[in-house]
Amino acid sequence: MSSEGGNGMMRKNEEQKALTLDQVRTKLEGVKGKRYWRSIDELAGTPEFEAAVAKEFPDAAAEWVDPVSRRGFLKLMSASLALAGLAGCTKQPDEPIYPYVKQPEDLVLGKANYFATAHPFATGGVPLLVKSDAYRPIKVDGNPDHAYNLGSSDVFTQATLLDLYDPDRSQHATVRGTTTEYVEFLEAYRERLNAGKANGGEGLYFLSTSFTSPTLQRQWAEAQKAYPKAKLVQYDPALAGTAFAAGLNPQFSLDKADVILALDADFLSGAGYPGFHKLTREYAARRKNPAKGMNRLYSVESTPSTTGLKAEHRLGLRASEIPAFAAALATAVGVPGVSAPNYSWSAEQTKFLSALTKDLKANAGKSVVIPGIYQDPSVAALALAINKALGNIDATVSLAGEASTSGDQIAGLKGLVADLNAGKVDWLVMLNSNPVYDAPADLDFKTALGKAKVSVHLGSHIDETGAEAIWHVPAAHYLESWSDVRAYDGTVSVIQPMIEPLYGGHTAHDLIQAMLDEPQTSAYEAVRSTWKSTISKGSGADFELGWRKALHAGWIEDTKYAASSAATAATAIKVPTPSSKDAFELIFRPDPNIYDGRYSNVGWLQELPKPVTNLAWDNAALVSGATLTKLGVDEGDILEITVGGRKVKTPVLVAPGHPDNSATLHLGYGREAAGRVGSGAGFNAYLVRTSDAPFYTTGTAVKVEGKWGIAVTKSHFQDLRSKVEGGDGSGTHSLEANEAETRGVIRSATLEEFKANPGFANEGEEHPKVERDNTLFANWEYKDNAWGMSIDLNSCTGCNACIVGCYAENNIAVVGKQQVRIGRNMQWLRIDTYFEGDLAAPKAHFQPMACQHCENAPCEQVCPVGATVHTPEGINTMVYNRCVGTRYCANNCPYKVRRFNFLLFSDFETESLKLMRNPDVSVRSRGVMEKCSYCVQRISEAKIEADKENRAIRDGEVVTACQQACPASAITFGNINDKTSKVATLLADERTYSVLADLNTRPRTQYTAAVLNPNPELAEAPVEHAPAKG
Amino acid sequence: MAQIFDRSSNALARMSLVLTGLIVISLGVTLDQLQRSPWVTRQGQRPDQPVPFSHKHHVQGLGLQCQYCHTSVEKSSYAGIPPTKTCINCHSQIWTNANLLEPVRKSWATNESIVWTKVHDLPDYVYFNHSIHVNKGLGCSSCHGRVDLMPLMYQQNTLQMEWCLNCHRDPAKNLRPVSQAYNMAWEGPSKEKPVWCSVSDEKTGKPTAQSVDCQTSEPGKVEVASLSMAGITLPTMANYTKFTSQRELGNYLIDHYKIRKPNELSSCEVCHR
Repeated sequence: MSSEGGNGMMRKNEEQKALTLDQVRTKLEGVKGKRYWRSIDELAGTPEFEAAVAKEFPDAAAEWVDPVSRRGFLKLMSASLALAGLAGCTKQPDEPIYPYVKQPEDLVLGKANYFATAHPFATGGVPLLVKSDAYRPIKVDGNPDHAYNLGSSDVFTQATLLDLYDPDRSQHATVRGTTTEYVEFLEAYRERLNAGKANGGEGLYFLSTSFTSPTLQRQWAEAQKAYPKAKLVQYDPALAGTAFAAGLNPQFSLDKADVILALDADFLSGAGYPGFHKLTREYAARRKNPAKGMNRLYSVESTPSTTGLKAEHRLGLRASEIPAFAAALATAVGVPGVSAPNYSWSAEQTKFLSALTKDLKANAGKSVVIPGIYQDPSVAALALAINKALGNIDATVSLAGEASTSGDQIAGLKGLVADLNAGKVDWLVMLNSNPVYDAPADLDFKTALGKAKVSVHLGSHIDETGAEAIWHVPAAHYLESWSDVRAYDGTVSVIQPMIEPLYGGHTAHDLIQAMLDEPQTSAYEAVRSTWKSTISKGSGADFELGWRKALHAGWIEDTKYAASSAATAATAIKVPTPSSKDAFELIFRPDPNIYDGRYSNVGWLQELPKPVTNLAWDNAALVSGATLTKLGVDEGDILEITVGGRKVKTPVLVAPGHPDNSATLHLGYGREAAGRVGSGAGFNAYLVRTSDAPFYTTGTAVKVEGKWGIAVTKSHFQDLRSKVEGGDGSGTHSLEANEAETRGVIRSATLEEFKANPGFANEGEEHPKVERDNTLFANWEYKDNAWGMSIDLNSCTGCNACIVGCYAENNIAVVGKQQVRIGRNMQWLRIDTYFEGDLAAPKAHFQPMACQHCENAPCEQVCPVGATVHTPEGINTMVYNRCVGTRYCANNCPYKVRRFNFLLFSDFETESLKLMRNPDVSVRSRGVMEKCSYCVQRISEAKIEADKENRAIRDGEVVTACQQACPASAITFGNINDKTSKVATLLADERTYSVLADLNTRPRTQYTAAVLNPNPELAEAPVEHAPAKG
Repeated sequence: MAQIFDRSSNALARMSLVLTGLIVISLGVTLDQLQRSPWVTRQGQRPDQPVPFSHKHHVQGLGLQCQYCHTSVEKSSYAGIPPTKTCINCHSQIWTNANLLEPVRKSWATNESIVWTKVHDLPDYVYFNHSIHVNKGLGCSSCHGRVDLMPLMYQQNTLQMEWCLNCHRDPAKNLRPVSQAYNMAWEGPSKEKPVWCSVSDEKTGKPTAQSVDCQTSEPGKVEVASLSMAGITLPTMANYTKFTSQRELGNYLIDHYKIRKPNELSSCEVCHR
């Protein structure tokens, strides 16, 4: 099965190749000159042609799968050119207006509405405020009033917008692959339910992703009463087997923590970690003002993450060593009754442990140990015990009294498969899950599924499971339906729909409610009745008023988890022994971008460079440089990974700081039925993931023939490697990093250095300063507003939320993997990762880099047509209609932040994507340069409102999309002429510097230098590691 | 062998050179003219509409206020096209059986839009905002012409960028008191018809239009007898300035409406993003 998987991947690609240009070429053969255009018209309707064009011109939804011959490329390009030319000679077509018949009272066309809702993510709800233009959701952002996230969001949440408008969503119910109506299904389903009443629902099985909705839990509990023998299994591939899924949901308060230890916990890089938004905010808040004291972050981790790279001290351990390390730490801080397995720690590891122990003890009550969720459950138990021993409980950690549990998900799934194989399953209803793709490989779910008499799949796409199931029912997106969800702190948010279901989708609520006495009760009524008593109690018995308040605010009052310091029963914690040091370990993690595969078809996330590796469009086996050498492979080579007889082929990539002798495999890729974007990207790590080892296991890896073209968006580490290959071997800095240091692109200091010299960021030869008078021309005087941005490098954790926020706000196109590989990705904002120090154990600096809006902009001076000009408020603006595409500006930009539409990257055709666009931003066509605009549409809107009210724009009135998304509040934007504004204060800070200041470009975006707070005991000469290669 | 070309060919050759030049020039001129012609700009064209709605009848004849239909003109970038409901408000009572109104009734019955053809159609890359113009002293007729005299709607001006910039570079020539924004017949002050304006209580946060008071009849001569009853004291008459030319009034309003400077108004990002 496994080797088939690898081959299957290749086969898939070949099939797609056959679909593209060849057919079109055959059809067009012999057709020349003018007739060609007519043929295009004729052909345009055929699906083959559409498929070919979709691949020829990659757009927001389509991936350019295969390299196309130059000839075929020119043929189609000239076709579209000629059509465009023709259109230019005619008048614009008449544009119709469709006014309302009855206009909704609160709608002012042209003014957006905002509605509170929440994103029900597997690790907890993210409270949202959704921008809606004429009742189309066009931007998803955090709810600024909600105490949990205060307006911040994350990559998944931002990208759910494109997920909603995904043109590949299933649009009809199907039965055995043929289109049918939902009512047909409902009839069959009701018949089965009625028949099942007599025997208590025996043979009726439900498989779902974790129930995040309290209402759904209630509905199921009621259904269980009516059908006591019906069974529900919840399975989330990323969470099954975690302590979190088993109900352990400790609440951390980092604002009070001076010392933080992350035990394989990646709490700074994305919503995959429960409480990410709050934890990141609190972590960053304690780093904004080093003079007032800072926290110190230690990280012990098995795969490099932004958390580890941000940490003052990072120890890379193989995954199986971490429970043992936690046990050793527990013993050291004095947790009774822990038997740490015997293990020979290296001198460096012992030193780290003793320094860490000392620091934790010294900060008892002001420290916190955060366990990783993709670890053995003993790590969570040990972390809790350590926190208890340090007196952190109720200070920095509290235990949620009533965290919901979905039980032992893996055992549940195993039981289901056993029942399937035993022929006990009559009906299997799968709710929003995709087990054929993501169930553990040893369960062979696909075969088992065939043994169910009737299988039903409720899902947003006809995915791997949808194709196998007998019935498929399109699922409504969370932005299309009523539901509810609890945030990390337990606060309940009502999920209210933003738009009618685009394709008449249904929800799990509908299918479970169908089992009850009132099967027609809508999800809306169900949610209301769940919270009726809670809301009535809170608002003086007036439910309707309370309900409206809850919808308006975005949460229901007094639903936070009650803190409970009740100690968990002190059972003996069983700590597994680490695997042998020679064993090759494999770590499974949900992907930082597409999670467990559920966001596979979201182009924004596929194209987003992953933190640490900057890999886009694929996953790869991540290994350390030394392991790469040991395996005798090079980056992009293909490894065959074998785990207990199961095999998968994967490209290999170096992740700086990865522990040796292990590899990280990200889940969620290698999908065959994800849609036009996700299908065929990457390799499927689920093929070697088994139910007994969901997070790490041992296996072997051997090199096989072939190369896999990976799209890595940074040149950084590549340069380093070529230097190493060139025989130098000693270098620990890449060319760019060297430049970063000598020209002061990245500036940082330790807390001691900062205290001794607060102005370090602007002193010394390597830290050039902007000199305003160093110019032949008189400086332009900015009289009214002068927009500027401050980015705090101490806060930025490199989580990428800003980039996806920028995608949504500015209608940025997705270009496809091949285009990314040749450097044509269109993100206006990138996060530059500068690694520091030892190759095998680096630190990293994350630097968000977008247009710097130089006052003395090099791009403007070289544009022959005046398409990029300066506004009186100091914005370097792009005039798309003037741009003729010389690309001089991009060449002359020292920050390399300009993006050019080499091809028609934007999708002007797909209807569903038109609904998604921000109506205030032009959709750029081919041949046009674009770049960060400081969200000029938001500035214009604020300016018009302020002018109407005859006042200055208030500080904080203009918030850029990246600033809005940032959970660390690292980005501040505003008027620098207003000396009391937040941004002016920050820019006046001694730590603020300009990147490449020696060029005298005078950027408006400036950076606040990082200050690190290392433990003096560990700060001494770092241990030398073997270089990456050679 | 005879010459292929006789001597007269020389003249022809010279002539063709001149002609080529002329053709190139005239082609350029033609294209330029074409670009500015109503064929491209649609100036003055009356597209077929589902209902031959007469602004003249409704505005001049019946005295409907612009905002009765174009409700969001002061609030939003769009002035707003009225929903069928607005038509039905009256036409459920009058002209209920008129053939011309069949599309309106049909829309009301079927809940489907009346599909109008856009008359003032800006390119999609231009972000025009009605509200700021109306709030800062631009009247409807300055751009749309005498809509109250149009039996069928048409576009009075080219709506080309040159036309926009003409005003953005020199707003004084079109500004009028905000109170006159919806006055279709407004002509600007002249010797014969002066305008008096006064300013009171200018402060930040108070919309500029509220601090500027303009009148078309001489202040002090206003008939206030009916108002000056016992117990009501009229506010003291502020100092009114008399304007007899559009230029003077325009400059005065630029100051007091806090109109941005021409360099700001003609900056690219004002209309293009």
